[in-house]
Amino acid sequence: MSQETTGLLEKYASEVFAGLVAPALEGMEISAAPADDLLAKEDVLVRMERELKRALEKPASERRWVMVIDLRKCIGCHACTVACVAENKLPPGVVYRPVLEEEFGTYPNVTMKFLPRPCMHCENSPCTEVCPVNATYHNEEGIVVVDYEQCIGCRACIAACPYGARTFDFGETYTEQLPVIFDGVLIGSKTAAAYEHASQEYGQAWKREGRHESPVGNVRKCHFCLHRIKDGILPACVTTCIGRATFFGDANDPDSLVSELISKPNVIRLKEELGTEPRVYYIV
Amino acid sequence: MAKKLIYALGVLTLLIGLWGFYDRLVFGEQHVNYGSAVVWGLWVAMYFFFGGVAVGSFLVASLDYLFEIKAFEGYGKPALWTSLVTLAAAMASIGFDLGHMERIWKAFVQFNPHSGIIEDVWGYTIFGVLALIALILALRGQKGTTLKIVMVLGFIAALYVAGAPGKLLGNNATRPYWHMALLPLQFLFMALTSGAAMMLLVQAFLSPKEPAPLATLVLRVALIVLLILSAYSTWAFFSQSLYGNIPSLIASVKQLTSGQYAGLFWGLEIGLGTLLPLVLLFVPDLTKNKLAGGLIGLCVLVGNAVARYLIVVPGLNVSVLKNIETAHIGRGLTLSYSPSTIEWAVVSGLVGIILLALALGTDYLPLYKKEA
Repeated sequence: MSQETTGLLEKYASEVFAGLVAPALEGMEISAAPADDLLAKEDVLVRMERELKRALEKPASERRWVMVIDLRKCIGCHACTVACVAENKLPPGVVYRPVLEEEFGTYPNVTMKFLPRPCMHCENSPCTEVCPVNATYHNEEGIVVVDYEQCIGCRACIAACPYGARTFDFGETYTEQLPVIFDGVLIGSKTAAAYEHASQEYGQAWKREGRHESPVGNVRKCHFCLHRIKDGILPACVTTCIGRATFFGDANDPDSLVSELISKPNVIRLKEELGTEPRVYYIV
Repeated sequence: MAKKLIYALGVLTLLIGLWGFYDRLVFGEQHVNYGSAVVWGLWVAMYFFFGGVAVGSFLVASLDYLFEIKAFEGYGKPALWTSLVTLAAAMASIGFDLGHMERIWKAFVQFNPHSGIIEDVWGYTIFGVLALIALILALRGQKGTTLKIVMVLGFIAALYVAGAPGKLLGNNATRPYWHMALLPLQFLFMALTSGAAMMLLVQAFLSPKEPAPLATLVLRVALIVLLILSAYSTWAFFSQSLYGNIPSLIASVKQLTSGQYAGLFWGLEIGLGTLLPLVLLFVPDLTKNKLAGGLIGLCVLVGNAVARYLIVVPGLNVSVLKNIETAHIGRGLTLSYSPSTIEWAVVSGLVGIILLALALGTDYLPLYKKEA
């Protein structure tokens, strides 16, 4: 389509639109949005960041990190899943935070339910009990972590998790077995492998350089982005949620947002009857 | 002739296995089909199976060296050798399954005493050491008090590790199919059955001597009893969940009775591994035929191996959280599993090692030399 044609269409389209809308707006007072009011309403992320920093001033054992997910707000965009993959440089087959989808009803009365599922960081965690070498345990803040250098890769913890929150790293990469055509140039898998950045999980750089070096051959799971938390940054899934449906903070702080949220009666935890005491709450 | 066949089969299966060993050691677990949903597959099933044969064989040896049953005189050394060889195969099978097999030493030094796996590791290690000491003593002809003490301890260890895999799986409350109090008992029956079957196989294809008629008769009667007990425990194990009829609890059992594993279950575990041997064991003429005994043993062993597979895999290929299997796509995230060629190749290699070790032991160790 030529530039001239495009310009013509834009002009007439605008005029047609104006002609349609103008009568409807007749008599209405149109003004700019009150900028002050919008700015006065603080984004929950700002509040949670502030609370996070406050919590970090306390001794680690006095914090109780919890995540709250508002299922009424979740639109199933999977941004949290993708953000988690990007943040932790997760290889193919390793997923920390999938979003489970369920369709209800029949046409025309159809709806979808979305359930983001990070690790529940259970207080009574079945996964830590079965580990033969104490490679997965609660750290001093109560978060369930995996020591990659200790894990023997038996996968008993995956079998034991009632939430399916653990996956195994089989050593795959996104750039393996390429020739890659990048920008029209065949660059080959070695060059492409340079784009595989090291994961910074647990505050350490985990580069995928071999088929046998950790975290390859290890069980991996969500750790509430501990490496970000220690720097006062919220987990990647929280900051990426476009609907502000995921909240994070210290439940031991009575003034925190998460404390407010989990004190409501419309809060549930998954498989609560098991007594695992998950640290992830859902608002329904 | 029979031994030559074992040698030939051993070399062939080992050659296939070498490819599997190479692939696993060089490429890690890139070419396996188990994943993050079905986390354990053929190798874990074979670990349970070979471990069961090892324990069962040791218990046969105890009939000679511990209970000193006259009919089983001379069975001790071949049974102990069979026990050690199959135990080594079991350990190799589970070793290949580990993401970091080089870190297994941590299970002895930095262990979690609450873990069922640790109980297995330590149990099998103690059992293996005792079986080795018993064999050395027996080969040296030292059938005295020391051997008896070692056999008593080994007997206790054997009984423990026979049921330990059932306890390891049964502890897992997340998997309703496994979470049954009967599972350790079922593993015990299967181990005893496989031990008796293995002895029939060894005496048919490897033993240079004609089997003692009374011992053969006892083995066959024992096999009849054990097969019935195994089948009964399987029924009891299944019926608990089936009669409950809660869909999520019977999902695994239904895969066996009428689902994707019905062919394996009814055809191999029940048909070939239980009913056919039971019928054949009751035919009087066949009980006198050494080769027929060996083939009956083989059928029981195949059924037994399939039974382990049908305990491990269907327990894992059911969803723990509704729709989790469709929430993400990627390597190992599916609930469907069938062993890859590399997995089969490794198992083939392990079978080859067992066959060759048994044949070489017969030829080069004084396993059948009469003790003074």
